[in-house]
Amino acid sequence: MSMFLKSLKELPPFGEALGMILEEQDQGAGVAVLLPGHGRVSSSDQGGIFDSGAILATIDNTAGWCIRDHEDYIEGTSMATLDLRVDFLTSAALSETLRVRAICDGFDGSLAFVRATAEVVASGVLVATGQATFMLGTPNNPANV
Amino acid sequence: MAQSLQNKLDHVHRLIKANPYLELLGAEAEVIEEEVIVSVFGAPHLVGNINLPALHGGVIGSLLGFAATAQVVYTNNLHASPRLVNIDIDYLRTGKPIKTFAAAKVVRQGRRVANMRAELWQAERTRTIAVARVQFLLDQ
Repeated sequence: MSMFLKSLKELPPFGEALGMILEEQDQGAGVAVLLPGHGRVSSSDQGGIFDSGAILATIDNTAGWCIRDHEDYIEGTSMATLDLRVDFLTSAALSETLRVRAICDGFDGSLAFVRATAEVVASGVLVATGQATFMLGTPNNPANV
Repeated sequence: MAQSLQNKLDHVHRLIKANPYLELLGAEAEVIEEEVIVSVFGAPHLVGNINLPALHGGVIGSLLGFAATAQVVYTNNLHASPRLVNIDIDYLRTGKPIKTFAAAKVVRQGRRVANMRAELWQAERTRTIAVARVQFLLDQ
């Protein structure tokens, strides 16, 4: 992973609330974020498993980070998520930690296309896949959005 | 009749109470004319961009998914959440960290699959913040 980490190490408040961890030593492609299983991310209603919303939120977050990690990304450029699709392949026990990896497939000045996976770290079982589109250079001012 | 309506709503409320992630979001649900309206108060820990500030995209996606789940549970009087197959969200506007609502409609429900359409709004319902297509697999 590249130098983007310096400015992006701080999690957004909701990332903090879920307990996301940026995997700084990761050697794989794109950006990897860990989501350890614990009470706040569970949907105990179906037993001790990760809530799909917590997985979705981590995919959304990691997808955004992977754009800011792109070699052509200019620090400070704002971006907005246009869409996000997530397929939930299987459930994951809360005793596990999930690794969400996002890879940027396409990047120009205006758009970025990202695909992401969420897998159980210990077993490599694929839990969810995601695909997102981002618009770059949107005004960082709510009045203009 | 009134009792069965209350009973159906109880299932939705139990769903929230039994789910720590929904508790973290601060999710609530009410039923108005057979439509389940779910909401969160835009608490500071739900923010994704502190500069705007804006709600986290994951919070918006989660609330859309929950709206669809709650409507399926309510309509079918289910005792547990159906399996979420996938969700496809379009983000239309920035969500501010304020009171946020979401609701879902059944597009088609068969014996095994429920196709839903969910929408999310804040101060004005017509000013949609995000929409989603959501699919569930129901118990056979």
